[in-house]
Amino acid sequence: MTVGPTVAGGLKLVPETEHDWMLLLGIAGDSDSDLAGRLAGLMDEDSMWDEIVAPELTEEFSKQRITVVKEVLNAREEEEDIHIVKSNAEFWYGALNQARLALEDKYKFGASEEVDPEVFEDSSARAAYFRSNFYSHVQGMLLQYVMIDC
Amino acid sequence: MNAVDAPAHQTKIRSKEKSDKPWQVIVLDDPVNLMEYVSRVLIQIFGFSKKKAEELMMAVHQRGQAVVWSGNREKAEMYVNQLHSAQLHATLEKAE
Repeated sequence: MTVGPTVAGGLKLVPETEHDWMLLLGIAGDSDSDLAGRLAGLMDEDSMWDEIVAPELTEEFSKQRITVVKEVLNAREEEEDIHIVKSNAEFWYGALNQARLALEDKYKFGASEEVDPEVFEDSSARAAYFRSNFYSHVQGMLLQYVMIDC
Repeated sequence: MNAVDAPAHQTKIRSKEKSDKPWQVIVLDDPVNLMEYVSRVLIQIFGFSKKKAEELMMAVHQRGQAVVWSGNREKAEMYVNQLHSAQLHATLEKAE
């Protein structure tokens, strides 16, 4: 897969193999649908955060994941590249972040500078680590090239 | 009689003092959110200068958490809601 900035101020993802498409479709699969609930857990019970705020956030986070899956599926069906522009960058960034937060919660990678991929004996953890790094790389490019003045 | 009244008065004063304390919005560190993103969110939500946002972001990163705003509870909750919407780990608590 090739990922790069466009002259129009966007980001282009060029999947080259079926594995690349599966990787992109897996962003939603890696995400934890209870992120809003976990964030609500940081609040005290008196705030009723889980009843008042969490449902709205759940919907918002779900919309991010759905947007990304739809765009990937459409691009695959049309055999086109994926273009992320200012108008959909927040959705992509949010969906990638959800995936990374969920992977971190599951595998406890810690800060990237502390992790040695060789120590992962579990192949699923190793694969998750590399996916998380890829997501992080795309997020960095989104911030650098697309979300500059959002 | 006086000996009984005095503590009650003190309690009332302490209670008032406690209720006057501001609520603090606290951002917690996590190993996922990119530092540039955290600064950007702080600028967007609180209107901080880039310099102040970066200082707070570094405080979060180095100390594990930082108070980014304090004031009344209603507004503090609104800010935490926005921080959660940006997927940052945040909470609020009463100033000590």
